[in-house]
Amino acid sequence: MSSEAETSERLDRHALVLAVWLPAGFVALGLWHYGFGAGGAWWVAAGFAALLAGFAAHVIVNAVLGTGFNPGETGLGLVLYATATVALVLAVLLGDGFAARFFLAVAGGMIALLLAAVFYLLTRFGTRGAFDRFDVIRDNNPRRASRLTQRGTGR
Amino acid sequence: MTAFLVVILGFLAAIGIYLAALVARASPAPAAFGDAGARLPGWAVSFASAGVMLAGMGLGDHLALIGRYGLQASHIALGLILAALTALLVQKRLWLAARIAGLSSPGEALGRYYQSVPLRLAMLTLALLFGLPFAANLLSQLGGVLTEATGGFVPRATAIWVSAFFLFLPAVIGGWRATVLVLALQAVLLAVLVPGLAGFAAGMLAGPGFPTTPLTVAPGILADQIPGVIQFSAGIGKQTPPGGIFTGVGIASTALSLIGIVLSPGFLYLGMTARPGRSAGFAPVWLIAALLTGLLLIAGPMLAGRIGPGPAQLATRLSLIEPFAGVAWLLLLILTAQIAIAFFTTSGAILISREVILPFVLPSLSPAKARLTMRIALAIAFALVAALAAFAPLASAVFGSLAIPLAVQMLPAFLGLTFLRWISRSAVLVGLIFGGLMAVFTEPLGLILFEGLFVDLPWGRWPLGVHSAAWGLALNVMAVLLVAIFTRSGSERAQRDRLHDEFAATWAVDFGGKAARNAKWSLTLIWAFFALGPGAILGNSFFSQPIFTTGDAALGVPSLWVWQLLFWLIGVPLVWWLAYSTALGTTSGQGLRRIALDDPARKTSPEWIAASLARVTAPTGGER
Repeated sequence: MSSEAETSERLDRHALVLAVWLPAGFVALGLWHYGFGAGGAWWVAAGFAALLAGFAAHVIVNAVLGTGFNPGETGLGLVLYATATVALVLAVLLGDGFAARFFLAVAGGMIALLLAAVFYLLTRFGTRGAFDRFDVIRDNNPRRASRLTQRGTGR
Repeated sequence: MTAFLVVILGFLAAIGIYLAALVARASPAPAAFGDAGARLPGWAVSFASAGVMLAGMGLGDHLALIGRYGLQASHIALGLILAALTALLVQKRLWLAARIAGLSSPGEALGRYYQSVPLRLAMLTLALLFGLPFAANLLSQLGGVLTEATGGFVPRATAIWVSAFFLFLPAVIGGWRATVLVLALQAVLLAVLVPGLAGFAAGMLAGPGFPTTPLTVAPGILADQIPGVIQFSAGIGKQTPPGGIFTGVGIASTALSLIGIVLSPGFLYLGMTARPGRSAGFAPVWLIAALLTGLLLIAGPMLAGRIGPGPAQLATRLSLIEPFAGVAWLLLLILTAQIAIAFFTTSGAILISREVILPFVLPSLSPAKARLTMRIALAIAFALVAALAAFAPLASAVFGSLAIPLAVQMLPAFLGLTFLRWISRSAVLVGLIFGGLMAVFTEPLGLILFEGLFVDLPWGRWPLGVHSAAWGLALNVMAVLLVAIFTRSGSERAQRDRLHDEFAATWAVDFGGKAARNAKWSLTLIWAFFALGPGAILGNSFFSQPIFTTGDAALGVPSLWVWQLLFWLIGVPLVWWLAYSTALGTTSGQGLRRIALDDPARKTSPEWIAASLARVTAPTGGER
């Protein structure tokens, strides 16, 4: 495939991923806005359900197109997740009554997202493969023996 | 809510420009600007098709009709299944014809297949009608909604010009591909917004809504029944039919008019520029027949029952509960209008550039200059649409109302190209003239012109409650059949045979054995009779007063609504069966053999155009 065709394919996939996350994000924001206001914890949890649906649709897109999450998507996901975690901690520490009303819904939603990501990694790469994705120490080992297939890093 | 709405619209506009910029960087070849290299991704074509169907029938208008006439108007949504069937029949063969004979647009396909310049001009006229007045009418409505929703904070003219500018940007930056990708993105958002809002409104707004309580309509209108098979009324504007305008034949003919969106030049061009794959089946079966029809039948009455005096009031009531919901409701109306405006204006400008300006006015331009020409055409088209919407909304509505009925008149021509080789050029042209005239004189334009110039006509718009598209098509088909008897082996028959022989040799459609073939057509006709035709009248009381008992059934919902849902559920497998058992829903680029169809139109500039251009563009003596 020519370079232009590859770029074109990547762009089509990018647009499809945007098409998945735009409604999921819109619905999640709407549900959270209402949930954190007058709605209550169930609406907040529904917002996380919308995000989970977006994640599932993204995985389906990857499966259909034979691709995976690209570095940009992974990075953006991790940054947003880390920001949300910090925001949750700050809200619990500083928010008046936040913990009592929303902690379970938000923390549960974030754990569900984490579990979904772990489940995706396990089903796509297997246990060892999933672990290898994060095993930077072994990747940095300069000895040739560390590259042997039977040591699990013969990639 | 105003600030919130502006932020969301700005965000969506930014995404459109971002995608267009990516497209422009990824596809630097100027030749791909107008047709995306005929390699549009299947998912984008599918979602854009569904979005254009919804936008073309006008979600706001549809909900307003349901609010006014009740379930008899909602019944029209079943016509989307008819439109899906038409898309199946036409799209694949047109796609194949384009690849086999090197045809670049629907107008060129008809022109070269029938050896007819007038047919090409007819398609261009349709592209103009859809691209200018039809789009301008929707833009005018969009401006009105924005002004009303913001309490006058955004003036109507500002809303129109700013909207047109931000719809123009993705098209001019990224061309056809960017336009389709952005439309697909918006269509996916719509697919989530419609059920989400219907559910939210049902659950959160005060008081019970549909289906718990019947739709509130004016006295004398039947909210949950079809008012007879036919009513002998003179038509809208002359006589008010009792019970409502959507009788059995009214519903059938209005449903038939939805075929006009499928046969619009832009919609056909969208299918022609798709890459090989399953989009030819996925869009009609799953998105149009299943998802869109279902959403409109279920969510349509639920939303329409809540609108009350107007869409802005519903937005206010929703935003009192949750500002996001109010904005989402407005976004629903705005996005549907935006999809239609962007799609029909962009496709119209591109088609007119490719079929008129580039081959006849400026025939020797390089691809880069051809792209510049298309960009200028896009700028002019969007400026004209905005000007029409801002300064001539009534004229836009009058001329725009002709677009769909006239597009339906192309049905015999496209059936001839795709399946019926005995339909000749003369038959198509005669049918088109009679059908077109009939459609014009049962729509406001013909009535206003004739009654203004001569005498009052005894009929109004849609006489007998039959849509102008159906009046035209009835006369059109009769003329086609009559003329085709005498001209079936006309002078261009060899040309027609060449394409159909290739279809038969390599791409024959397998309708199955005799039993399967008969079943396909008879089941479709039976479905159409009971779902859309006179048989739909049975749905008025079929489930509430069953014929096998003397007592009434306490259904809790209107019988007609159950009838509609039942025939939607029957219609989807029917479309699916036709799409996949006959392979009409899949396209493949393998094994394509090129054939050459003669081109009746000279690809050189006529002398008077060349001389005029030379006079303007030739260097003056001083510059030498």
